[in-house]
Amino acid sequence: MIDELRRLREEALDAFAKARDAGELERLRVRYLGRKDGLISGVLRRLGSLNPQERPSVGAAANRAKKLLAEALQDRLGEVTAARSATERALDLTLPPRRKWRGTIHPVSQVIDDIWRIFQGLGFARARGPEVDTEWYNFVALNTPLDHPAADEQDTLYLAPGLLLRSHTSPVQIRTMERYPPPIRIMAPGMVYRRDTYDATHTPAFAQIEGLVVDEGVTFVDFKATLAEFARRFWGPGTQVRFRPSFFPFTEPSAEVDVKRVIVRENGREEETDWIEIMGAGMVDPAVLDNVGYDSERYTGWAFGMGPARVAMLRHGVRDLRLFYENDMRFLGQFT
Amino acid sequence: MKVSYRWLCDVAPGIGLTVDEAMARLALRGAPVEEVEDLAAGLRDIVVGQVLDARPHPNADRLTLCRVLGPDGEVPVVCGAPDVRSGSFYPFAPVGAKLPGGFRIGKRKIRGHFSQGMLCSERELELGDDQAGIMLLKGDYEAGAPFAPAAELDDHRLDVEVTPNRGDLLSHVGIARELHPVGQGGIVLPAFPTGAGAGVGLESSFARGSSDSASAGVRIRIEDPELCSRYLGAVIRGVTVGPSPRWLANRLRAAGQRPINNVVDATNYVMLELGQPLHAFDLHRLADATIVVGRARPGETLVTLDGEARPITSEMLMIRDADRPVAIAGVMGGRDSEVSSESTDILLECAHFEPKQVRATRRALGMSTDASYRFERWVDPATMETAVLRAVELVLAVAGGEPDGEVIDACPAPWEAPVVSLRPSRVRHLLGVEFSSAELVALLAPLGYREARTGSDVVDFVIPGHRSYDTLREVDLIEEVARTYGYDTFPSALSAFRPGTVPDDPVFQLEDRLRVRLAGDGISEAQTPALGPPRHGDVPLLNPMSADESHLRRDRLPGLLTHLERNLARGVRDVRLFELGTAFAPGENVATIPRESARVAVVLHGRCAPLQWSGAGGRFDAHDIARVVELIAGEACPGGRVVPAEAGAGGWRGPVLDGAPLLVPERCYQLVDAMGAVVGWGGEIRAGAMDLPPWAGTVVGAEVVLPSSPAPGIAVTARELPDQPASQRDVAFLLPAGTGAGDVLEAARAGGGRLLEEAEIFDLYEGDDLPPGARSVAIRLRFRARGRTLTDKEVDRSCRRVLKKVKGATGVEPRS
Repeated sequence: MIDELRRLREEALDAFAKARDAGELERLRVRYLGRKDGLISGVLRRLGSLNPQERPSVGAAANRAKKLLAEALQDRLGEVTAARSATERALDLTLPPRRKWRGTIHPVSQVIDDIWRIFQGLGFARARGPEVDTEWYNFVALNTPLDHPAADEQDTLYLAPGLLLRSHTSPVQIRTMERYPPPIRIMAPGMVYRRDTYDATHTPAFAQIEGLVVDEGVTFVDFKATLAEFARRFWGPGTQVRFRPSFFPFTEPSAEVDVKRVIVRENGREEETDWIEIMGAGMVDPAVLDNVGYDSERYTGWAFGMGPARVAMLRHGVRDLRLFYENDMRFLGQFT
Repeated sequence: MKVSYRWLCDVAPGIGLTVDEAMARLALRGAPVEEVEDLAAGLRDIVVGQVLDARPHPNADRLTLCRVLGPDGEVPVVCGAPDVRSGSFYPFAPVGAKLPGGFRIGKRKIRGHFSQGMLCSERELELGDDQAGIMLLKGDYEAGAPFAPAAELDDHRLDVEVTPNRGDLLSHVGIARELHPVGQGGIVLPAFPTGAGAGVGLESSFARGSSDSASAGVRIRIEDPELCSRYLGAVIRGVTVGPSPRWLANRLRAAGQRPINNVVDATNYVMLELGQPLHAFDLHRLADATIVVGRARPGETLVTLDGEARPITSEMLMIRDADRPVAIAGVMGGRDSEVSSESTDILLECAHFEPKQVRATRRALGMSTDASYRFERWVDPATMETAVLRAVELVLAVAGGEPDGEVIDACPAPWEAPVVSLRPSRVRHLLGVEFSSAELVALLAPLGYREARTGSDVVDFVIPGHRSYDTLREVDLIEEVARTYGYDTFPSALSAFRPGTVPDDPVFQLEDRLRVRLAGDGISEAQTPALGPPRHGDVPLLNPMSADESHLRRDRLPGLLTHLERNLARGVRDVRLFELGTAFAPGENVATIPRESARVAVVLHGRCAPLQWSGAGGRFDAHDIARVVELIAGEACPGGRVVPAEAGAGGWRGPVLDGAPLLVPERCYQLVDAMGAVVGWGGEIRAGAMDLPPWAGTVVGAEVVLPSSPAPGIAVTARELPDQPASQRDVAFLLPAGTGAGDVLEAARAGGGRLLEEAEIFDLYEGDDLPPGARSVAIRLRFRARGRTLTDKEVDRSCRRVLKKVKGATGVEPRS
């Protein structure tokens, strides 16, 4: 009789699952769970024919089966009713979509990412270095003796004499060249630190992105061409690029790179912007190559550094740099 | 460097550039103008007025009634000055004119008489401090003409950004030379407007000596030739110290300097003109009329002319008289020997000091002066004689007196112009363009680089004095070639490149993936500084800007929490932020480099979904942060498990703030990596660790340490899809208080054997019909086998195993 109960249970569950509507389920309820003619009730009625030792266990099994089937029937009834109401109910399509939270990638990260993608296409790889470094890596190896006024250009945060928070990403140049032979084609994005007070264009910690190329036969002509190519890919094909002489201890000749963009106004008119300074760059000073043991008569190179937050300010019309580092959800949420 | 445009035109008469053209050219020569100021902007309404006649005001003692001839003919003016001279010219502000301070002149009636305009004092025109009287214009003028051009005050001040390698640009002659590279001939030293008095010609003689030289009873001795290679001293007797004439004061003001007195102004003028700092001593204040250049003696002190007592060390180079120090060499003079209104005899110092020495001294003293700024960046040793004679000439012109004796010239180490070789082949190697030797000479000669010798493959250049500090290597000359040829003249052509040897850093790649994942989960990326207030175990900075940012954070979560606090304080209630950044653990001692690790931190507060018509999905709690940690683990920690945090033997081992756990230990998970190490924490933030508004709810947060060398992603081996139907069983358990539903689930999974495909909790119920603290947990078990349909018997057997395992592991039995 236990076997019969099991068979009935499986048969009923199968039938419930196949039922399409409430009427069919009602017929199945009467067939299996009906008080008078239900098949389970039939089993219970036959308990009397069993010997007294078997009766309680079979009775309990029959009751369990009855309860389980009743629950399963109820579940299935819910399912078919829901399915029907879903197909029949009119959807109000004027309702806004059912939404989830949207997260955003930080606008400065987005700029770094866009810059990186362009240089990735030009054969660069990313390199990383520590944020706490020594005077050797941050200054001296980069041809910036501490007794030269050039070392004042960046007011540096120190941990201990000789130990500092890097004031630019350029130490990564040295660390990478110490570790790998030429050819070098790297980018080094990362946080840098200066002893600046917060204002609309300064924060003590900010992102920088560095680029370095060293190989045989690398010239000022390649340097100009690659950075101009980057600028056109980043700001659009109509972008003009200007190289102005400047000074950085670790490059010679050194240049400031300016761009003049073409922006399209709402009325479709194209307009040129003013020249905007976007990066410092230059040919790697031979002293830097000598400091890492490269043969500076054989290898030449170029390097650049730029501030992605400044680029993000230009890109999004943000007037105060501090907004990028306040992390107000209402600000960050705009950069979807 | 603040440059007067008029001054610039005076020293380079052939320059022929407007202000805008000069600015554009300077930018392209590497010295951009940061700011330009129209110095006559405030004087636009002021004209030259001629006083036709003046008489005392009948009703007031101090007032004068004048008739002034201005642009609109004669007008009556009541003047507050008693000494107005008929026929003389004065700056005049007619009715309607605006003074530099913004005051507008109106028609007024003063003690019964109309006044239609104002005769102005220097003070009213912001041209000086003299308010005693109105400003008399000497000479002949046209009445009614604009005042600024007539008084040669229509000038522009250019603030030129000079890079640290270009000390030679810290003078008007230097800027003119850069703008107008036609060799020295293009530069002139204009005659002074004031009569040259006794005057000295540039041919004046010098009393030449080595370390020791004397003339006119004054002796100069150099003890340290390495630090001072030459010291020129000129004696002038019988000067009258007083205010500078107007032209000199105006010129200094136009270049951003405050006039002091005629002698000091003369030395400043020559510094601004030629770049050579000079100092004037009161000769009678120098003991034994002696100058000794040497290191400070132990225990000496000096009060400098700004009144500060300077702590002198024996490292510093001093100018001394026979007894004591009288100036800090190249930095600042002493107060006792400065030129004052009583001075009659003076000694002009024109010296060359070693740049590094001056820099070290002024840094040790925490000061910077016009002189030290220039000495640090190299002052042209070839200009010294010109400078000292120019200064003598100017002092005589503006303060009178007579030179005594020869210029004393102590010169232990005569300067020799360096010679640098330039290979045309190296120029091409670096710049990518072919230049012949002749072309290189043609490019460099106008800048003062003289061709000394041309060989077959090399040209030797003599470096001019003003560039002989930063142009000492071949590459420095190559830069001059590129600059003069014009950066924009070079072609721009991409060439083929070899792939680099450096692999793309895997931590950056990991960070890229985490950014996309977390933003995709609805969390926004923040960037916060790694600097924070003092906290136990954080690495202190030596020279912090503020107490709030005086330490390097050893973990990122506390910093990110302050940004959550800021959002909440601004009324932003739904905050979901993550951050990728570096954390710093102290090294062995302060001098060792801290250990850095890349981290990802997350904070969540508020609703799990935006407010909307279909209802919100509750508020963030520790279960959400567990999901985020799992998400991070999927990228950063393959094989890692998110498990409830265990106290461990030593108590709490997670992040700590203010001496207590940052996270609530009972509501906290930890991320355990495949090797069993704890690499992350996530859970509810202890309320006491934050400063939140009273309405704030639960804040959850997490921080995970990223691997320093993430394993390359292991490619997933795909499983085949099932070919047979599954059998499903639902089992409900009654869990007494204290039994973990996850433990039951885990036991169920463990007990199901290989036929159990999946087990999930699909219902969790607590209610009044259950014993206190008890919960009902419903688990759906799905069984499946490959290649065949399972029989009921097999499924039942597996089910029984599950139940047995659950009972064995947790003591819990299924609900009947």
